[in-house]
Amino acid sequence: MSGMTGLALRSLRHRMTAQVATFLAVLLGTTLIGSFATLVETALALGPAAPDRDADRETLIIMGAVVGGWGSLIVLFSVASTVGLTAARRAGEIGLLRVLGATPRQARRLIRREALAVAVLGALAGAVLAAGTGWLLLDLLRGHSVSASVEYAAGPASLGAAAGLVVLTSVAAAAVAARRSTRAPAGVTLRDSDAETGRMRWYRVVAALVLIAYGVGGGVVTITVTANSDDPYAAMQTSGSCSILVGLGLALLAPLLLRWLAAPLAGLITGLGGQGAGYLAAYNARRRAHRLAAVLAPVIVLTSAAIGTLMLVSIDTRTLPGGTEDSDTINLLNNVVVGMASLFAAIMVVNAFAACVADRWAELRRLWLMGATPTQVRRSVMAEAGVVAVVGLVFGALGSLATVIPFSVARDEGVVPDAQLWIAPLVASVVVLLTLGSGRFAARATMRTALGEVRRPAT
Amino acid sequence: MTAPPVPFALEAQGLTRTFGAGTGAVYALDGVDLGFPRGTFTAVMGPSGSGKSTFLSCAAGIDRPSGGRVLVAGTDVTDWDEDRRSRLRRERIGFVFQDFQLMPYLTAEQNVGLPPRLAGRRPDRARVRGLLDLVGLADRAHHLPGRLSGGQRQRVAIARALVTDPAVVLADEPTGALDSATARDVLALLRACVDELGQTVVMVTHDPVAAAYADAVVFLADGRVAGRIEAPTADAVAARAAHLDDRAAHLDERAVRR
Repeated sequence: MSGMTGLALRSLRHRMTAQVATFLAVLLGTTLIGSFATLVETALALGPAAPDRDADRETLIIMGAVVGGWGSLIVLFSVASTVGLTAARRAGEIGLLRVLGATPRQARRLIRREALAVAVLGALAGAVLAAGTGWLLLDLLRGHSVSASVEYAAGPASLGAAAGLVVLTSVAAAAVAARRSTRAPAGVTLRDSDAETGRMRWYRVVAALVLIAYGVGGGVVTITVTANSDDPYAAMQTSGSCSILVGLGLALLAPLLLRWLAAPLAGLITGLGGQGAGYLAAYNARRRAHRLAAVLAPVIVLTSAAIGTLMLVSIDTRTLPGGTEDSDTINLLNNVVVGMASLFAAIMVVNAFAACVADRWAELRRLWLMGATPTQVRRSVMAEAGVVAVVGLVFGALGSLATVIPFSVARDEGVVPDAQLWIAPLVASVVVLLTLGSGRFAARATMRTALGEVRRPAT
Repeated sequence: MTAPPVPFALEAQGLTRTFGAGTGAVYALDGVDLGFPRGTFTAVMGPSGSGKSTFLSCAAGIDRPSGGRVLVAGTDVTDWDEDRRSRLRRERIGFVFQDFQLMPYLTAEQNVGLPPRLAGRRPDRARVRGLLDLVGLADRAHHLPGRLSGGQRQRVAIARALVTDPAVVLADEPTGALDSATARDVLALLRACVDELGQTVVMVTHDPVAAAYADAVVFLADGRVAGRIEAPTADAVAARAAHLDDRAAHLDERAVRR
């Protein structure tokens, strides 16, 4: 027992860089969730004598719980996949430990303990930061949405809950990844030679369908019910998170989407990417869809959440020109959600791509041994980035419709919003740049390892 | 250099490869002169650390020699840049590795067609099929490597090595990961490449039985050529190899005592 903990700590020290992504995701995640959680605690602590107690209380709770809630979904999703990715990369090493006699249970414990140690550190630091950012958030709201007299009253309860939630998510994700990596019999798993069927687990499909149904349902409710409400923000409350929910749902289905679409894209890319690069990318994307899916998933969420929410704000400012007293705050919060979602998704895209390509260094080296020039090897990775970007944009845009159409209809602009449609191509170009950029970054870093022997100067 | 040039498929002249610099420099290859005539099967043997893998890497343009020349089919490729070396590997050299090195997401047929693909050509379907037929895997053309046995994977790798009709096939411990029965099949296949297709095969191995399939065995020790046996038998090879191993152990012991 203590042996495994000791091993976990030593192995941690050894792979600091690999854990940096996990640490950052946990740190930022706790900071964001924690900031919104402090609003709720502040609301609950409002004394009975406070002026406008009930109104302030409701506003703070809605903002903390609802807006924080959407954001938390994305944050937890990204923390879970970052931790899962880091743990999954250990498969080879876990195989070795098991050859040396570690039981599957011990191996799983090692992965879980490592994740726990990193998550606790990140969450503690995040909670400290959240105390500050929570105060700043309240300060922004004071005098606009809530009375100027509301005092910041959050402490260990909300911050601890936020940190605990993130740590729990991390450990659960590590446990799932650990289970997957110990399912095979002992042995140094020949990961890339395995016939990887990459079948999706049933609960993943169910979760995806529930999220999509929930998002589409919100859209339907917006058109049929809240569109007719006297409160202009009722429609926003029901439709605002729909693009995020549908985006998350589609992201869970990413392996499936890749497998379907890589085939038609194969033809296209083989035509464009000369000298076999597109050919390789197309088959890799199709036959090992579940790996590239780790990159595709955040691209979908990013596109869907960004287009959906930015269009929502655009429609809102157009159709409520004067606004209500809450408009500034609501737009601010919407922008915070977009910013938060984009930041997390961007970190995930870069991290997932780097991990996915780094895992394949042996395979990229093999291509080079077979006579592919370094440029061709790099191009094959870039072609994969191209596939991810195209598929991600298509489904991300589709997901964003779950917010855009209902809200546009609710605000009487019809199915297609009246103006600022350029938001979609703008987001699309940012996403393409991000995806291709992280592909390039990943390819460069990995090629250095893969072709290490030639790079060594001849003495 | 007055004799008429022998048609060597692969030739090393004074090949040297050092690791590190100064007094701590290690000579992995120390002036190796070897020629492999066209249409022959040669085994390269030697104790661990004798430089046989480094030799193969330098010959294939994977590693850059520190000194000496490498000639492939009479062309000096020593100073070629990375892109030309890549082209050399996919056009003029066929590779067979101990761990097969197939692309996991390509079928057997697609793996065999990969070198021409990388050269920007559509592989000749009839040739690919013919080679799969030659290695006895015509009915496995559409299988992914994960669904093939070790021996089958190595036979796909051999078909891939032959697809561009290379000047020389380099095999690095091709039977190292196979059981002895499967290994015999793979060796017989390499032998057939030489006898029936007129290919040139250079095979690094430490298995005397494998080496006995070759026309000649070259021994390396401490980065130098340490002997040669024509028409080898497994016993003769084993005896010579044991002798070299003893000598290497002796040298090590002396080094330790010092």
